[in-house]
Amino acid sequence: MGLLRSVASRVVALVPVVLGVTVLVFALNAVALGDPARAAMGQRADPETLERLRRDYALDRPLPVQYGLWLGRLARGDLGESFREQRPVRDVIVERLPATARLALAATLISVVLGVGIGAVAAVRAGSALDHVLMGISVLGISTPVFWLGLMLMLVFAVKLAWLPVSGYGDGALGHLILPAVTLGALHTGTVARMTRSSLLEVVRQDFMATARAKGLPESVVLAKHALRNALIPVVTVIGIGLADLLVGAPLTETVFAWPGVGRLLVAAVLQRDLPVVMGAVLVFALVYVVGNLLVDLAYLVIDPRMRDAARA
Amino acid sequence: MRRAALAAALGAVLAAAVVTGPAAGAKPGGTLRMVFVSDPPTLDPAHATDLTSSAVIRQVFDALLELDEKLVPAPALAERWTVSADARTYTFHLRRGVKFHTGREVRAADVKASFERAAKGKRPWVFEKLVGARDFIKGGAPEIAGVRVVDDATVELRLDRPFAPFLHLIAYDAASIVPREEADKRGAGFASHPVGTGAFRFVSWRRDDQVVLERFPEHFRGPAHLDRVVFRVIPAEATRYNEYVSGQLDVSDIPTGRCRAVQADARLKSEAAIWATLGTSALRFNVERAPFGDARVRKALAHAIDPSIIVERLLEGCVTPAQGIVPPVLAGWTPAAKRLPLDRERAKKLLAEAGFPGGRGLGPLAYHYNTSDINQRIAEALQAQLKEIGVTLELRRLDWAAHIKLVDDGSAGFFRQGWIADYPDPENFLTVLFHSRNVGAPGNTSRYKNPALDRLLDEADTMAPGPERVKRYQQAEQMILDDAVWVSLYHYASRGLVKAHVKGLERSAQSTAPEFLAPLRKVWLER
Repeated sequence: MGLLRSVASRVVALVPVVLGVTVLVFALNAVALGDPARAAMGQRADPETLERLRRDYALDRPLPVQYGLWLGRLARGDLGESFREQRPVRDVIVERLPATARLALAATLISVVLGVGIGAVAAVRAGSALDHVLMGISVLGISTPVFWLGLMLMLVFAVKLAWLPVSGYGDGALGHLILPAVTLGALHTGTVARMTRSSLLEVVRQDFMATARAKGLPESVVLAKHALRNALIPVVTVIGIGLADLLVGAPLTETVFAWPGVGRLLVAAVLQRDLPVVMGAVLVFALVYVVGNLLVDLAYLVIDPRMRDAARA
Repeated sequence: MRRAALAAALGAVLAAAVVTGPAAGAKPGGTLRMVFVSDPPTLDPAHATDLTSSAVIRQVFDALLELDEKLVPAPALAERWTVSADARTYTFHLRRGVKFHTGREVRAADVKASFERAAKGKRPWVFEKLVGARDFIKGGAPEIAGVRVVDDATVELRLDRPFAPFLHLIAYDAASIVPREEADKRGAGFASHPVGTGAFRFVSWRRDDQVVLERFPEHFRGPAHLDRVVFRVIPAEATRYNEYVSGQLDVSDIPTGRCRAVQADARLKSEAAIWATLGTSALRFNVERAPFGDARVRKALAHAIDPSIIVERLLEGCVTPAQGIVPPVLAGWTPAAKRLPLDRERAKKLLAEAGFPGGRGLGPLAYHYNTSDINQRIAEALQAQLKEIGVTLELRRLDWAAHIKLVDDGSAGFFRQGWIADYPDPENFLTVLFHSRNVGAPGNTSRYKNPALDRLLDEADTMAPGPERVKRYQQAEQMILDDAVWVSLYHYASRGLVKAHVKGLERSAQSTAPEFLAPLRKVWLER
């Protein structure tokens, strides 16, 4: 019961966070120069048509009224209509959401599997040449710009070797997902690897590890069952924070690989001043981020029985 | 010498570029894989304002007329037309038996319905010359009085006053004929499921990914050669190029900064297509903002700018420096106007006469431009060139939406804004961009008001095509350049890549890479 209440209170606390984000984005859009009606008209705009579009989009209303209208629609589950595509924002986002979800999940999987693997090997071989090489690769992964890495991977694996498609979603085939997922995942793999290594090194010095070894357990079991599980708590935190990296990296990765996701949609909407789409996409990103972090908090309860007991109390 | 060599090379490529495969021996079948830089915002001709949307619309829809390779209006849904002696009434006779993709025959009533629907869309200026159109657009009339259905196969269009380029407007994609019942039934959804009479019918559109069209076997000109056309959407230039060299695209564009490299590449040079298009890159002054209200200041700046440096060093000689406003490639146009020549001594003298000797007292001048790599480099070049006469430029870069707002509302004093012709006529450059009735967003962002120029343009706009009309526009163009309201930099060129097996792809002066606004019904693949 205590656990459920704890989760419920976390969920309620998310509402002001998400609303705060929407106020901020709306305000930023308001101070940004540009007129959505004009941006939709191409090089030549007829003044009367501009006026009509501004009326249709409610752009002639005061900003608080515009925000109030948006919020009112949101309460009814309506995200409004895209200025650019002239159809419901919900449809515009829902069409692109599966592509971004696939990419983000695949990238997370890659960063967790590779990151934890590299970090664990580096920790086991701490101080060795292998450790230095693996940590060097991790730093490289963290510091390499997504755009550049994507193009390099594309040149090698798609253009030169022709092992994978250059870009696009294809028909959802796995081959199309690999390069964008590796590119986006690389951003975070290094962070996970470094955190796993340092966390594991911290844990192996604990007394209970000596106890486990004294019981005569094989080293592999000591490491996997006792060390890694305890080392994972800070790693899970990093994975949660890494969601932000994924959201930041998604527009760039999607642009490089012509991946039809929400990130690209957001970039185009910002450039076109398509405010309803910007608000909708940011709302989705904010929700993904806060819900992702909530899941991370819940994961602590699974990994660490002490936290579970504390939550119950 | 180097420039002459480049000009010769460009000429050779241009000559090669306009060659299109003969229709004879055309092989049917295959899929043409094309590419867009961005997703089309709409596929509804009433709401499109961009080249990407137009590239699809032109395949799915037909208008009464179309422009041929030389951009001359030619029959399409209308098999012939007549013009009254006072040049105010046009009567179009429709082909019999033309079918929409739904199978229904096209009737003259569809023309009226399509025009009235589109007049309330985003390009009402296409229809505003028709009698009663402005009233209808404002909601003051139930119909456009100037569009009359004579019978099922005849429609009569009446103009308020003669307008020489009217046939170009009728051939414009905004004037495409749509089946009214489909547009009504689908409402806003018509933009995602277009239905027309075109040589290709709509199959699917996965947003930000691809648009697929297939051959419409019952097209009135007979079935197209290609089975399908796929337009991929690839925003990153480098990715488009990689897709092209990997053989996944049949056409693409030459990436920025690789024009010379591609022409020197043994494998790619035969696939490079560079051709002049109907557009001019320019700098404009807002004459309502100090110090640009003073013609001496404008002229001083115009005299200090050297477009040839920009063309040669920044644009790799793949465009031509501009003397005038109207591109020489416009059919029937004889370029005569000359921009103010590079003369820095004269520039300094004019600045001194205006009260700013050596640029003193002028302060830093803000130069506004929209974000792009090439615009940034041009801005830096201008900064260096104007420094030589003592003028300091402060560079103000904004994205397009913000830039165009400042330009339209008159907040920018000195700014970059080129022009790409909506239709091939000098009126679309000179009247749209400089007539006082078009101040602001309609085109005259210099906010220039010159009654003598207005009279000249009004006269030319209503004259019959011919040398006398061209002469009026030439005078108007020189008047504008002498007053230094606009400083021409260069005329645009399209830079495309086309695989050797793609035949019949037209490259008219209105076509651009990578969209290629060409009739794809003429294209076939030789494999």
